Amino acid sequence: MDHSLAFLSAGLGMGLAALGTAIGIGMLASKALEGMARQPEAAGDIRTGMILAIAFVEAIALYALVVCLILATKG
Amino acid sequence: MEALEHLYQHSVIPLNFFGIDLTITNGVITLWLAVISAFLFFFLSTRRLNQRPTGWQNLVEVFILFVRDEVAGQIKHDRDKWLPFLLSIFSFILFCNLLGLVPDMSGVTGNINTTAALAIVVFVVVQIAGMVKQGVGGYLKSIVPGGLPLPITLFMIPIEIVGQLAKPFSLALRLFANMFAGHAVMLMIFALIFVFKSYFILPLPVIGNVAVLAFEIFVAFIQAFIFTYLSAMYIATATEGGH
Repeated sequence: MDHSLAFLSAGLGMGLAALGTAIGIGMLASKALEGMARQPEAAGDIRTGMILAIAFVEAIALYALVVCLILATKG
Repeated sequence: MEALEHLYQHSVIPLNFFGIDLTITNGVITLWLAVISAFLFFFLSTRRLNQRPTGWQNLVEVFILFVRDEVAGQIKHDRDKWLPFLLSIFSFILFCNLLGLVPDMSGVTGNINTTAALAIVVFVVVQIAGMVKQGVGGYLKSIVPGGLPLPITLFMIPIEIVGQLAKPFSLALRLFANMFAGHAVMLMIFALIFVFKSYFILPLPVIGNVAVLAFEIFVAFIQAFIFTYLSAMYIATATEGGH
């Protein structure tokens, strides 16, 4: 059985997942920084929420990583 | 994939009870070590409690206050009743995560079996807590949002059941994937040495892995926090009723 398509999809899939996660974390951080700049007294709360949300977004990329590792170690 | 060897289990003491495989693997030993170190941390640092905390007592107080206010604080009515459970889960996951970073230790939270067991414990606790608090009928009724027309309610029942079952699944997979990914990234950076077959590439993997390891310590805390935070959130929604 030829596994070349599995390798290709592993690389492409991880790249696409990283793209989506990067957009998500970028938007999160930009909005959080905006909020911190407007209300420096709420910076602590915003930072906690931001880190929590970033961890959720990151987890989706890691689901993709697990799938891609399964694909990439098939050969 | 030999660098990921510590994520796989190998037998230390073979044990077999009436056909049930209870082999003591390196992962089991790491779990014991995590339990013992968590116990010693809390036991030894609370021996001489003082009105004005000094030394280790400060650290433990930070720990407990953080879990009480940030995590258990979501369960408004009986926060202090749930604190022991949430604090045990938090410290157990944290010590497992940190022990996984020590060389030659088994990365137990990077193994889906450990995280699945933890998630099942949380799932059972959430269901029982909801049933004890609202009664079995009241809890089952509160899973599906009330005040909807009958066809939509019938349509919502399977969706809400799947939603309940998806919670432990996502809990287990999130913790597992985060801890596994850290080890996998370190392996990939080390693999550069074998890909390039040159000594001049050495500084890159070394510096890169130190950076990844520092980030992994941060991730160990964040993931322990997130697991407990979500558990507390599920308990709060199950016991407070309604959406």
